[in-house]
Amino acid sequence: MHCKQIAEQDVLERYLLDQLAEQERDEFERHYFECESCFAQLQTALAVQEEVRHQRPSVSKTRGNFLRGTWVWTPALVTALLLFVVGTWWYSGRRRQNSAPVALQQPATNPAPSISPSSPSLEQLASVEPPPYLATTLRAVQDQAHEQFRIAMQNYSKGDYANAIPGIRAALKVDPKALSFNFYLAACYLLTGQTDPAITFFRKTIALGDPTYSEQSHFYLAKAYLKKQDVAGAEDELEATISFHGGKETEAGEILRQLRK
Amino acid sequence: MIVEGLGEMGSLAERIRLGDSAAETELVRQFSQRLFVMGLVRTRDREAARDLVQDILLAVITALRKGQLLDQDKLAAFVHGTARNIISNHLRSRAQAPRFEPLRDDLAQTHSNHEIEEAERSRLVGDVLGGMRRQDREILHMTLVEGKKPGEIAIALGLTAEVVRTRKLRASKRIAALLERKLSRR
Repeated sequence: MHCKQIAEQDVLERYLLDQLAEQERDEFERHYFECESCFAQLQTALAVQEEVRHQRPSVSKTRGNFLRGTWVWTPALVTALLLFVVGTWWYSGRRRQNSAPVALQQPATNPAPSISPSSPSLEQLASVEPPPYLATTLRAVQDQAHEQFRIAMQNYSKGDYANAIPGIRAALKVDPKALSFNFYLAACYLLTGQTDPAITFFRKTIALGDPTYSEQSHFYLAKAYLKKQDVAGAEDELEATISFHGGKETEAGEILRQLRK
Repeated sequence: MIVEGLGEMGSLAERIRLGDSAAETELVRQFSQRLFVMGLVRTRDREAARDLVQDILLAVITALRKGQLLDQDKLAAFVHGTARNIISNHLRSRAQAPRFEPLRDDLAQTHSNHEIEEAERSRLVGDVLGGMRRQDREILHMTLVEGKKPGEIAIALGLTAEVVRTRKLRASKRIAALLERKLSRR
């Protein structure tokens, strides 16, 4: 057994978790009895294991619980949300009459007075351009869900994101695992300022495991976290975006650079 | 990287055979931490691991004094083999009262210094973890406590396996670098 093999096969972690076969365990022990570097790593990992055992961080659980909680909104909260959505839709519709396309929520043409021109504020970094949508023409007859989605996306293409939501939701009820339905529903929520449901559906898109929308989902998740002023969450998602080395890599890298200034 | 001075392990064994007490101290310094980790991992019992380290070192030193190590270049393997046998015996007879024969005072002191270093390491690791991003701590927890693979963690956190591996490696390196810096000052 040698150092490279130990690193590549996660031997150290499996040793601490008692997951090695007896022979493999003996070989690793004999190795670290003579290898200073591997033993130092083992000591560190052991100390970390003992510490994290007592410091359960539960990021995903916290987020999950929070998001689950949002589905049990009280009627008053729902009413307030609806008022906000309608207001946002009306306001963004009025703005589009004068300038289109614009970054929703925080248009670059009308920055808040507190924004410094030299270093962008969180609000500026959180501004979102709508993900492009190209309607596909299929030769085969569309199923009910795709037909509902196609109609809803006509509103999306016009910039009417709030009115696109009910149609996409209806399509999603019929086909909950359709990637595009989940992704564009998330985008509509984000573009209408409904950050928490946006996060839920971007995460769902990623969890479906198809890489088609993964890069974009991580990128827009970062935007959602920036809107919530969760910089650490945004950094995580930007790093994830960059790891795909796709079309959003440069933009994600630039935002990350600004955040870490 | 190989243990500094391991090339002299053969002469260390020979010096112990000839009754050099400094060589015995050196042997304890070289192996007690390794034996403790081995005992802890195999028994999951910190107190038992501490006792076992003493038993093993005593057995090794006694054997070396009697010249029982035939191939002097294999001291590390000899210590490991002795440890494996004693730990196995301990696990087999766990219900029985442990045999405990204390090390000589100066050897026990060397071992005790390692315990202080271990406590300091735990404190430093706690500090570093406290300043880490929650998601990085989550990754470490899932890896080292829950035993999840990067692919499984990636699905749970909505990341790619590559990102999980990178973050885990980065976090481990950060901790290791800090430990090396702080502990080397002691």
